[in-house]
Amino acid sequence: MENGIPDSQNPKPKPRPIVRIGIFIISHNLFFSVICCIGGILALFLLPLMAKNTYISENALMPGSANPMFSRYDTMEANKLVKDIMSMSLKPEETGIEIARLLAQRMEESGVEVYHHKFHEKISQFRPLHFFSDTTYTGLLLQNTSAIHGINTVGIIRAPRGDGKEAIVFVTPYNSTKIELSEALSIGLAYSVFSLLGRVTWLSKDIVWLAADSRYGEYTSVSAWLRDYHTPVFNGPESKENPTTGAGNTDFFRRAGTMAAALVIKVVEKHGETEKDTLSIYAEASNGQMPNLDLINTVHYLAVHTQGLRVKVEKVYTLLNLAWLQVMGQILESVSKVAKSLNSQWKFGMPAAEYVDGTATLASSLYYQALGVPTGSHGAFRDYQVDAVTLEISPRSFLNNEGRRTEFLLRGGRLMESVVRSVNNLLEKFHQSFFLYLMTSPSKFVSVGVYMIAFLLLLVPLPIAAAALYSGANNLGSNLTKDNQVPAFASTAKPGVQKSWRWLHAAKVVFIIHLWATIVSLLPSLINHIPEMTPTNNMFIWASSSIFILLILYSMLGSPYSHPTTSGCQNSEWATLKSVMIAVASIGLGLMSIINYATAQIGAIILVPMCLLVHPLKLTGRSGNSKAFLLVACNLVVAVIGFPPAGLAVIKGWSEGFGAVNVGDFWIWAESLWAWNSATYLYVVLIHFPCWVLCMNILLHPC
Amino acid sequence: MAKMKWYWYWVSTSIIFRLILIYFPNNLNLSSRPEVATPLTSLRRLAEGYWLKQSSISPYSGSMYHGSPLLLAILGPLTVIRFEGQPEHIACSLLFVIADLITAILIRATGQKLHLSYKRSLKSLNVTKLLETSEILSAGDIAALIYLWNPLTIVTCVGMSTSPVENLMIVLSLYGACSRLAPLAAFGWVLASHLSLYPAILIIPVIFLLGYGPDTPPKKLFRQQKSESNGNDLVIQNRFSWRPVVHFILWASFWTVYVLVLCSIYLKQYGGLSEMFKRTHGFILTLEDLSPNIGVLWYFFAEVFDFFRDFFLIVFHVNILFMLLPLAIRLYHRPCFLAFIYIAISSMLKSYPSVGDSALYLALLGWFVYELAEMQFSFFLFCGYVGVTLLSPVMHNLWIWRGTGNANFYYATAMAYACLQIILVVESVSAMLQHDRMLRKQSTT
Repeated sequence: MENGIPDSQNPKPKPRPIVRIGIFIISHNLFFSVICCIGGILALFLLPLMAKNTYISENALMPGSANPMFSRYDTMEANKLVKDIMSMSLKPEETGIEIARLLAQRMEESGVEVYHHKFHEKISQFRPLHFFSDTTYTGLLLQNTSAIHGINTVGIIRAPRGDGKEAIVFVTPYNSTKIELSEALSIGLAYSVFSLLGRVTWLSKDIVWLAADSRYGEYTSVSAWLRDYHTPVFNGPESKENPTTGAGNTDFFRRAGTMAAALVIKVVEKHGETEKDTLSIYAEASNGQMPNLDLINTVHYLAVHTQGLRVKVEKVYTLLNLAWLQVMGQILESVSKVAKSLNSQWKFGMPAAEYVDGTATLASSLYYQALGVPTGSHGAFRDYQVDAVTLEISPRSFLNNEGRRTEFLLRGGRLMESVVRSVNNLLEKFHQSFFLYLMTSPSKFVSVGVYMIAFLLLLVPLPIAAAALYSGANNLGSNLTKDNQVPAFASTAKPGVQKSWRWLHAAKVVFIIHLWATIVSLLPSLINHIPEMTPTNNMFIWASSSIFILLILYSMLGSPYSHPTTSGCQNSEWATLKSVMIAVASIGLGLMSIINYATAQIGAIILVPMCLLVHPLKLTGRSGNSKAFLLVACNLVVAVIGFPPAGLAVIKGWSEGFGAVNVGDFWIWAESLWAWNSATYLYVVLIHFPCWVLCMNILLHPC
Repeated sequence: MAKMKWYWYWVSTSIIFRLILIYFPNNLNLSSRPEVATPLTSLRRLAEGYWLKQSSISPYSGSMYHGSPLLLAILGPLTVIRFEGQPEHIACSLLFVIADLITAILIRATGQKLHLSYKRSLKSLNVTKLLETSEILSAGDIAALIYLWNPLTIVTCVGMSTSPVENLMIVLSLYGACSRLAPLAAFGWVLASHLSLYPAILIIPVIFLLGYGPDTPPKKLFRQQKSESNGNDLVIQNRFSWRPVVHFILWASFWTVYVLVLCSIYLKQYGGLSEMFKRTHGFILTLEDLSPNIGVLWYFFAEVFDFFRDFFLIVFHVNILFMLLPLAIRLYHRPCFLAFIYIAISSMLKSYPSVGDSALYLALLGWFVYELAEMQFSFFLFCGYVGVTLLSPVMHNLWIWRGTGNANFYYATAMAYACLQIILVVESVSAMLQHDRMLRKQSTT
C-alpha cells in the first residue's frame, strides 16, 4: 500500500481496484485523517448511547429461582458476633490475634474446617521482566512466628453434594489493629451466611471464607493467601503432618477446589442521598481486566429485583455538572426525538440526564481500567483467572441503630446467599458472557465490538498518514534523483538502494530511540536501590541519566541528523522519519489496545494528534502565513501536553491547583504504577515517550 | 579492510549478546513459548527422550519426543551436563550459538559466491552501470548480519530449540551446491530432510545449482548477447552439466543409507526404522499434535471433522508440492532464489512452524538485496513483521494466562503472519522478475 503508485515512466495497465482505492485514500489523506479523528472522538462520546442492557447469558445461573433461607435467627448470630468483636476492640493491645482466634473458635463451633494463614507485608519491588510472565514464587509458607505478620482466618465448608473440586470464596477484610464497627458488621454478615451455608444441603461447591487481616492493606493479605493457595508445597517441613491428622491444627494450610467466583464483602457507612440501602460494585482488576459480566449481572439482578437495593457503580462526579456535556445530552435527545418522529422504529435516544450520568460512569470505568491498578482486593483474584467483585453495602441509616441493623443484615445476608446459590449452579467456570466491556450504568455495558470502533477510527489515520508520507517522500526522492541523474551516478549515491529501502535509516533512528526508551524504563529499578531519596531527587537522577544515555547512544550509533546524504534528499528525510515513527506508534497503540483498551484509548487521544500534526518548525517558519502560525502553535501545545511529566502536571494542576504541582509527582505516579505491575507504565515509557522524543526530533529537524 | 573489521565487530557483538541472554533463561521463559519451540524442535522434549532412552525405554514412547535419533545421540548427553551455578542446558545453548555462527559464515560465503557470479554476468551483459551500486556492501555480509542480528534468530538460539541445527544443515547444503561440492551438498540435504522433512524439496534448487551454477540472469539474454557479439566466448556456462548432479545423487544415496544405518543401530531394540519414521516424519505429516503454534494448520485440524481429516491433510501437503514445479520452471536460472522461495513457502505451510524458519529465509533474503532493491511494500512488510511478532505473545497471554481472550485471538495473528509471508513471497518473486526484465532492457539498449 505504501508505494502502490505505479511507475510513471512506462505506461502500464490500470492498477487493480484495491490499489486504486489505496491511492485514492492516500492522496486525500488529510481529509480522511480529519474525518476519522473527529469521528473517533465523537464515537467515544456516543458510547453511552450505544450501551446495551445487561442480560444474564449463562442459563445455569438461574438467579432468584429459589427463596433465600436466611432468616432473622441468622441476623441474631451476626449481631452477637459483632458485639463480641466490638467489646474485644476495647482492649486494644490484644486485638491482632484475638479476633482471629474468636473467629476460628466460632467457625469450629459450627463444625467447619478452620486454619490461620500468616503472611508478611509485601515489599513493593520493581520487576520489569515480570509484567507478563508468571512470577516464579518460591512457594514457602511462612513458618517463623517471630517477625511481625498478619493473620488471615480461613474457614472451609465441604460441599455435601460436591466433589471438592470447585469453591466459592467470600472475603471480608478487617483491620486487626483497629477494627471499625462497619468491618465488624461485614464479618458478622459473612459469618451468619457462612454458618447458614454450613447447614444447607444444596451446596455443590465448597465455600471458603477468608477473614482477611488488612493491617498491611486489603490487597496484600488476599494476594498472599491466594499465592499460597495456588502454590502447593510438596516437600516442605510441614509435609510430616498428615492432612487427616492435622485436623485440629489451626496452622495447617488447607485448600478447596478451584475457585468459581469470589465475593469481597464490605460494609461502609455512607449517608445521605437515598431512601434505600445501597450496593456499590467494584470490579476493575489489574491492567483493566474485568470479571465476567455474568457475575456482575447476577449480583445486580438479585440486588435490584429480590432485595430492593439501590445498585451503584463508580462515576466521575465532576462530569455531572459540566455544562457542555449537558448541552450535548440535550442535542442528542432532540436529535433522537426528530429521528423518532421520522420513523418510529428508530429508538436510539436517551434523556439528557441519563446520558450525562452514563458518560460520567463510562469516564470512571475508562479511568480505572486505564490506570491498571485494581480498585480493591478483588483484583488479586483476577491474577488467577478467578472472577471476583467487591460488594460494598451501605445502609441508609446509622449502623449503631440496632433495629435498622437487623433489617440491613437480613437484606445483605439474603443477597449473599442467593448469589452463592446462583453461582453454585454453574457447571463450568464463567465463560458465557463478556470479559471485555465498559460499564455505563449498573445495568448497561458497552462491549468490545462497540468501543473498538471509537478506537479504530482514531487509529486509522496513522497508517494512512504513514503511507502518504512514505510514498510522498519516495516520489520526491526519486524525482530528485531523476533530475540530477548524471551527477548522482558520478558521485557515490546509491539510487538502487535508496528507492525502496530508503526508510532503513529512519528505521534505525526510530529503533535507537525505542532502545533508549527501554533502557529508561528499566532505570528506576536501579535508582530504587539508592537509599534515602526524595521523589524529586529520584526524578532528577532519572531525567539526567536518561539524557546522558541518549547522548552516548547518539555518539555511538549516530544522531538522526548526521546521515550523509546528498542535500537534495534531506527534504524527504524528515517525512520518512515521520512515517516510520507513525507506523511504529500505530503498532504500539494497536498492541496496547489489546493489553489494556482504556489506556490505548486515552493514549490515542493525545498521541494521534501529536503524531499527525508534527511538522519541522523551520519548514513552517518559512511560509509564514497564519495557517503556518496555527500549525506551529498546535505543535507546541501538543508537544508540551504530550510530554508525560508535563501532561501529568497539567492534569494535576487543573484538578488540584497549580500550587500543588511538584517535580517528584511523576516519580510517585510511576512508582504506584509499577508497584501494581500496570502495563500503563510500559505504555507511557515504551510507546508514548519515544514517540514524543521523535516528534521533538522532527520539530527541530534542520531541513 | 576497515569494512572487514566492522563486519567482525558486529558478528562478535551478536555472539556476546547471545551469551548474555543465555544467562537469563528463567526470566525470559523462551523455551516454553509456542512461537519458539515446537513439538519437533523443543529441547525439553529432547531431554525427556534422552532420559527415556537412558532408562532403556524407547525414546519415542509417550509421544514426547519426535526428533531424529541422531540429535538424541549428539545433543542428549549435552542436556544432562550441569555446571555449578550455571543455567540448565548451557552446553546445548553454547552448541546452538556455534551453529548460528557457522550458519552465518556459510551464508556469507555463499553470498560472496552469488555476488561474484552476479558481477560476472553483469559484466558479460555489459551492464556495468549497476555494478557500482553493488560495491558498497557485499550481499553476503548483509545476509550474514541479518541472520545474526535478527531478533527471531536470537530468540530461537536462546530459546532452547533445535532449529539452529536444522538451519545449519539447510545452509550447508546450499553452500555445498554453490561451491559445487557434491558430497557436502548431499550431506546437508540428507540431514536437513532427515531432521525436518520439508527441506527435501530443496533437491530441485540444489540440482539446478550443481547443474547450472549460481544465480544468473535468464539464459536467453546471454544467447542474445552471444549472437550480437558473434561468438565471443562467455564465462558463463549455460549448459546443464550432469556430472556434479550424478555425483550429488550418488552421494545423497550414500548419506541416506549411512544415516539410516546409524538410526537403526541406535533404535535397534525400540522398533527400528519403521518406528522412527512413524514417530518423526509420520508425526509431521499426520499432524497429531494440535497445540497452538504460529502456523495455520493446528486450528484448522482442531475444527475439522474426523472423517475429512485425511482429505485435508493431503490437500495441505500437496499444496506445497503444487507450487514447486511452476516456480522451478520460472526461476530455474536463479536456483538460490528458488531455494529461498521454497523455504519461505514451506515455513508458511509446514505443520509445526516456528520463528526459526522465518529467521532463515529472512536472512537468505539478504543475498538478493541488490536484485530486490525495487521491491514494493518493503516498509509495509517490515512493519507487519514487527507488529505480528509483538502481537502474537500478547494474544497468547490474553488467551492462556488471562483467560479473557480465546483461540481465535491467537489464530488471527497466525493468519496475519501467513498473509505477510505470502506478500513477501509474491513481492520478492515479482521484484526478481522485474529485475530480470530491467537487465534485458539495459543489455539490449
